[in-house]
Amino acid sequence: MSDQAESVDTSPPPIGTGLGAWLDHISQTVAGLPGRYRAAFRKKPRQTILVTVIVLLGLVYPLLDQYFLASFSRNVFPLPLPDDTVMTFMMIFGIMAVGLNIVAGFAGLLDLGYVAFYAIGAYVAAFLASPWLSAFGINLEFLSLQGAGQPGVHLPFWIIVPIAVVVVATFGALLGAPTLRLRGDYLAIVTLGFGEIVPLVFKNLSNVTWSLVLGPINIHLVGANLTGGVQGINPVDAPFLPILNIPFDAGAGFLPVYLGIVLLLIAILFARNLQYSRIGRAWIAIREDEVAAEMMGVNTVRTKLLAFALGASFAGVGGALQASYLGATTSDFFDFNISILVLIMIILGGIGNIWGVVVGAITLQYVDKTFLPYLGQRIQENAPGLPNPAEFNFLIFGIILLFMMRFRPQGFIPSRQREAELSVIGLSAAEAEMGIPTDEETGAPLDLDNIEVAPPGQSEVGPDARAPEVPGEGRDL
Amino acid sequence: MDQLIQTVIIGLAEGLIFALVALGYTMVYGIIELINFAHGDVFMIGSLIAFFLLAPNQAGGGLGIFPLTAQTPVPLMIGEIVATLAITIALTAVLNMAIERLAYRPLRHAPKVAPLITAIGMSFVLQNVGLVFAGANQRTTENIFPKDNLLAGFGITGFEITVSQVFVAVVTVPLLVGLTWFVAKTRQGKAMRATAQDPDAAGLMGVDINRTISITFLIGGALAGAAGVVQILYNNVTLYSLGFRFGLNSFTAAVLGGIGNLRGAVLGALLLGQVNALSDRYIAPAWTNAIVFGVLIGIMVFRPTGLLGQQLADRA
Repeated sequence: MSDQAESVDTSPPPIGTGLGAWLDHISQTVAGLPGRYRAAFRKKPRQTILVTVIVLLGLVYPLLDQYFLASFSRNVFPLPLPDDTVMTFMMIFGIMAVGLNIVAGFAGLLDLGYVAFYAIGAYVAAFLASPWLSAFGINLEFLSLQGAGQPGVHLPFWIIVPIAVVVVATFGALLGAPTLRLRGDYLAIVTLGFGEIVPLVFKNLSNVTWSLVLGPINIHLVGANLTGGVQGINPVDAPFLPILNIPFDAGAGFLPVYLGIVLLLIAILFARNLQYSRIGRAWIAIREDEVAAEMMGVNTVRTKLLAFALGASFAGVGGALQASYLGATTSDFFDFNISILVLIMIILGGIGNIWGVVVGAITLQYVDKTFLPYLGQRIQENAPGLPNPAEFNFLIFGIILLFMMRFRPQGFIPSRQREAELSVIGLSAAEAEMGIPTDEETGAPLDLDNIEVAPPGQSEVGPDARAPEVPGEGRDL
Repeated sequence: MDQLIQTVIIGLAEGLIFALVALGYTMVYGIIELINFAHGDVFMIGSLIAFFLLAPNQAGGGLGIFPLTAQTPVPLMIGEIVATLAITIALTAVLNMAIERLAYRPLRHAPKVAPLITAIGMSFVLQNVGLVFAGANQRTTENIFPKDNLLAGFGITGFEITVSQVFVAVVTVPLLVGLTWFVAKTRQGKAMRATAQDPDAAGLMGVDINRTISITFLIGGALAGAAGVVQILYNNVTLYSLGFRFGLNSFTAAVLGGIGNLRGAVLGALLLGQVNALSDRYIAPAWTNAIVFGVLIGIMVFRPTGLLGQQLADRA
């Protein structure tokens, strides 16, 4: 957040394209960080110190928790502290929120089926790092980092992540392609349908009888269990660093949290670079006005497909991390609630603002997995008849959604641009009702016949002024 | 062949229940262009209310206000069903109207997806209300209708129509006809059509827009409540999460028929009933939802105006 203030003037000098140039750009960005930090410190010292302290505390927290706080909370006094699992999931959902923010926040394409990509990412990891495929005669044990001899495919996590990104991005483009013409609510429902179908496919492909003979291809499946059905696939290999011999599984304490932090930081870096790139500006342009963007030469088809594909790929990373970390994946985990949970995260944090959505994801994950169960436990101990709030978490999230849309649609850490756009909701009641511009101070309708108009060239109205919104127009996101 | 006819009959009964819910979606979309995501959950609340009114006290788990068993004498049974319908319809109608008043009206001029997201939030709230009152397990009632095959009198034995299926038709068809008449012939119906075409112009012509929208939600809620009663008596089972599946089926029906088009919604619902029944019978119940979603995606992508077309072309 500290570098937000200076983000406008950091456009890098024009450099070439390709991977080398991109690495060049990254190194320039990283090299520029101390300077930007000093500038932010000069501009807003208090805010910068606060953010620095919070970030540093966050970075040492997993260590503190494991060596001190957890035992304190267990033995001395119970505190609502997130444990390693919750923290890892905070990072997983942070990655997903950053990804959904690209589709829904930057490009303005409301995706209600984001869970589909999460599921695909998880199953990619499950297929490529488990004994599962040995049942179909596919054994690639020599690829394993943890010693040969195991049946099935055991790719290292570091190779699975790029594979998951490619696979999920392909599915994102596949979903994007037929929906290019759709806008707003229709798009939302189509993505919702996609998000329901994908987990159902994983759930139902547990007893497939099918045969295909096509030249050299000769496939015969009789009662084949392709996806594990409701039981899912387990065990899935944990991420593993070979030279240091570090596993990142659910029993590895704070280690997977730091793996999650690294992946989240990479995700944020990618998303930030995309946001300020040509494609990022194109996304924002089609979000604002698709027709106008097209007139200005934006290739809307390519832009939207890239939004879907790139946005989805983040969920692929999240899914791969989840399956590898938990060592298992089941179809029932991936339901509509997850899509909505990620949506609430980005709305809560501030749709369009990368740091906002990350904070939203961490906060909501904390409330869901740590605070509500803690509250529920305290209530059960002291007053056992009362309802357990952890069972009604989606009641609370539903209410959060209602209140956010009503009173703070731009979120708690809004992007400045979105805030300006959404402030049309905050029009005075008379203005919203009648579509008549009103005086900003008194709320009275303006007398349009006697309005003072500055002579040409002397207008006080800057380039940011917008025409009064006409109700019924511009309803699309 | 007999099996196919039987499947079609089952699909028809289910399609009629879908039609009641689909009308609520299509009317609301026609008038304020909102996919009222919470509508399926209003239906679910209706079926829970009916369950609590009808299920006997001790074994049934309901409140037993109108305890209904297979042994209840027929005149009393009819009276209890009518009373349950009346109470449920009144409650869900007011609930739906209140939802519009509190949640959607303040956002009427917001970007289009803001009320949609609000509706999703409302859907979760209603689901959890159902969870609080009915618990996480499904609630079942006794089948009160005799299981005789009404076609046996005509010498047909290969497939059957049961009393419960006739009951579904007896309740839903008059409601569907009545609604069509209301929208086509009455002054209020004209106001609804005018508001759907152009809210601003209708307002200038003296139509009270807010009142018209409220009445639309009132009617939609009433139909959803009636569907809830019919569904608990026909399927004998309800659950707090029933609204999601039912709502998406009914919404698919509305889109299939051409959203905003009342006759289209009924036609779409009857077709969707067939899709459900045929898929349950000939593919597998586990795939039915995926097929319904596939139909939904297919229509929205390839023919967003639906089978009978919609009133305004620029909505997709």
